[in-house]
Amino acid sequence: MCFERVKAHLNLHAVLPNLEDLVRLDPEARQLTRDWQIAIQFVVRQGPKAHVVFKQGACTVGRGLHVPPSVVLFFASPAHLNRMFDGKSNPVPLWGFTKLPFLSRDFAKLTDRLTYFLKPSEALLEDPSYLALNTRLTLNTAAYAVPELLAHRRELRPIAAGLPDGVVQLQVLPDGPSAYVVSADGKTSAGRGEPAQRPMARMAMKDMATANAFLSGKLDSFTAIAAGDVSIRGQLPLLDAMSLVLDHVPKYLS
Amino acid sequence: MKTYTFAKSQALFRRAAQVIPCGIYGHMSPAPLVPPTAYPFFAARGKGSRFWDVDGNEFIDYMCAYGPMVLGYNHPVVDEAVRKQLEQGNTLTAPAPIMVELAEYLVELIAGAGFAYFAKNGGDMTSYATMIARSATGRKKIVAIKGGYHGVASWMQGGGHHGVVDEDVENMIRIPWNDVAAFEKAIARHPGQIAGFIATPYHHPTFVDNELPAEGYWQNIRRLCDREGIVLIIDDVRCGFRLDIRGSHAYFGFQPDLVCFCKAIGNGYPISALVGTKKMQNEAAKVFYTGSYWFQAAPMAAALATLKELKRIDGPKRMLDYGKRLLDGLTEVARHHGLDLKTTGAPSLPYLRLTDDETLMQHQDWCAECTRRGAYFTSHHNWFMSAAHTAEDLQRTLDIADDAFKAIGTTSKGERRATNRARKK
Ligand SMILES: Cc1ncc(COP(=O)(O)O)c(C=O)c1O
Repeated sequence: MCFERVKAHLNLHAVLPNLEDLVRLDPEARQLTRDWQIAIQFVVRQGPKAHVVFKQGACTVGRGLHVPPSVVLFFASPAHLNRMFDGKSNPVPLWGFTKLPFLSRDFAKLTDRLTYFLKPSEALLEDPSYLALNTRLTLNTAAYAVPELLAHRRELRPIAAGLPDGVVQLQVLPDGPSAYVVSADGKTSAGRGEPAQRPMARMAMKDMATANAFLSGKLDSFTAIAAGDVSIRGQLPLLDAMSLVLDHVPKYLS
Repeated sequence: MKTYTFAKSQALFRRAAQVIPCGIYGHMSPAPLVPPTAYPFFAARGKGSRFWDVDGNEFIDYMCAYGPMVLGYNHPVVDEAVRKQLEQGNTLTAPAPIMVELAEYLVELIAGAGFAYFAKNGGDMTSYATMIARSATGRKKIVAIKGGYHGVASWMQGGGHHGVVDEDVENMIRIPWNDVAAFEKAIARHPGQIAGFIATPYHHPTFVDNELPAEGYWQNIRRLCDREGIVLIIDDVRCGFRLDIRGSHAYFGFQPDLVCFCKAIGNGYPISALVGTKKMQNEAAKVFYTGSYWFQAAPMAAALATLKELKRIDGPKRMLDYGKRLLDGLTEVARHHGLDLKTTGAPSLPYLRLTDDETLMQHQDWCAECTRRGAYFTSHHNWFMSAAHTAEDLQRTLDIADDAFKAIGTTSKGERRATNRARKK
């Protein structure tokens, strides 16, 4: 699959779901969306579909179509969608023109807030609450990116084909966020929080700062693992495969 | 039992990481040692079956440098042969006579051998063997086993790994182990295109149980290779001289065209060998293949001394016997703690796994606790026995294993199970 199309899958299925945690955990985002009642449908021509629903102060992001949507955002191509995620273009609303002011003003504020938490600076990371949310969102993005890359990136086909079954958990100690990837019957999916099944492999990062540096590629992973800052246990081939996949994320989302 | 700490290893590792990618790279990387903090990273010295790390901790070594150590570290006979050769010269403008002597010895020793060729690493020989197969047949494809390891050249690694492009592996056909039908299917799908079949004498991947050849497997593969004109290559880099001094193919009763040796051949001195049938000698001669240090005389002296010594003491039998006693003992200790320790592969290079926990975490905990008590056990890779392991090592190892089981708290679990069983009655 071409670069733009893979990136569109990552934007809709790995980045966009972070709105859920953002609305739940960032007071400003919570305040902004408190009274929203709207279902926004993203449609990309020859690309993925996803929807974002705001209802009673909560946000849910899902794959595919939502019926009925309040507004449909149409993107002429995966590249068009990606330009919007990079803040360089606007979608064409196909349906729900009355929502235009909402989209350009209120929803844009929320997506700006998401960008703020996803694109850190050294100064911002000094603030523990910023660090915590940035780390959580980065962890989510990583976990959600794995199934997308395995399904859509050609070079990773041999990795996908050889992936054993089982759950891989990524967690931040002592009580930080957790995310996981489930591999079953040649397919993978991802989730946040504690997995329902016992993990076959587990990666635990000793604290928020370590996790942040590790997930953003600032830490040499071999050194971090050898020194015990990041611990890996269980069926390590599953983790090896994950890390090969995650190495592709910065090509799309840096 | 006292447990070890590794402050100096850790400190040295941090220095290493500043100037060496991964700190320690490749198969010696601490990453698959779980947890790495229970393992020594740097070895200071070795003697016999033991080594000492930079913190001064002493280990009974069940990895044997991942295979090369076979007679014991600092073996006097081997080291004396090396010292003598060094006095004469090592890397000179022409090879030393010891090269001919070693080739003659190998041709005599290895079942079905007609020639020998020397290099440094196992991967040098597996690559050379596939080049010979291609040159001899005029074909491109190589059949190998899924999960089979033959070194680090790009064709040997899987697609999707860093530095490997699709073209590197497009002529590789990977089939499951012990599956003759899959080989037949590959032949049918690529008629007249398969140059070679490469596999280890038995399947010894990491992280999963090892598998011996099924009854008749090798004879069937040989028959298909003969029928199709495919070169049969055995990668005996890991098993070599730990099953049978005449090569592992002799142990399993078949005759390959080419056999790759490394690891145990020189008791730790850098040398590998390709041994082939007389029929293949001229084919090997056509492929240009060499390296700066491939004619080093001292490692050749080491190999000759190692092989002679292994033959004299019947080293493979000793290692198989020691392995058998160790595995029986460990299995018994595990059973005593209510756990099932499964051992697969040959006892001289066995793979072990506690089956009660399929995540391997319990097995990893146990191996780590054993290592912290002085029995160096990895949890992901097959172990290696040497001819230097003694009855005292055996007893000490079993004591350590027992104490390690206590430390990981399985006794209570075993008791719990016993209680459950009693309640059911
Ligand atoms: C079966 C097998 N083949 C080939 C190799 C590669 O040998 P080397 O690392 O010396 O190139 C190894 C190394 O572990 C091996 O176990």
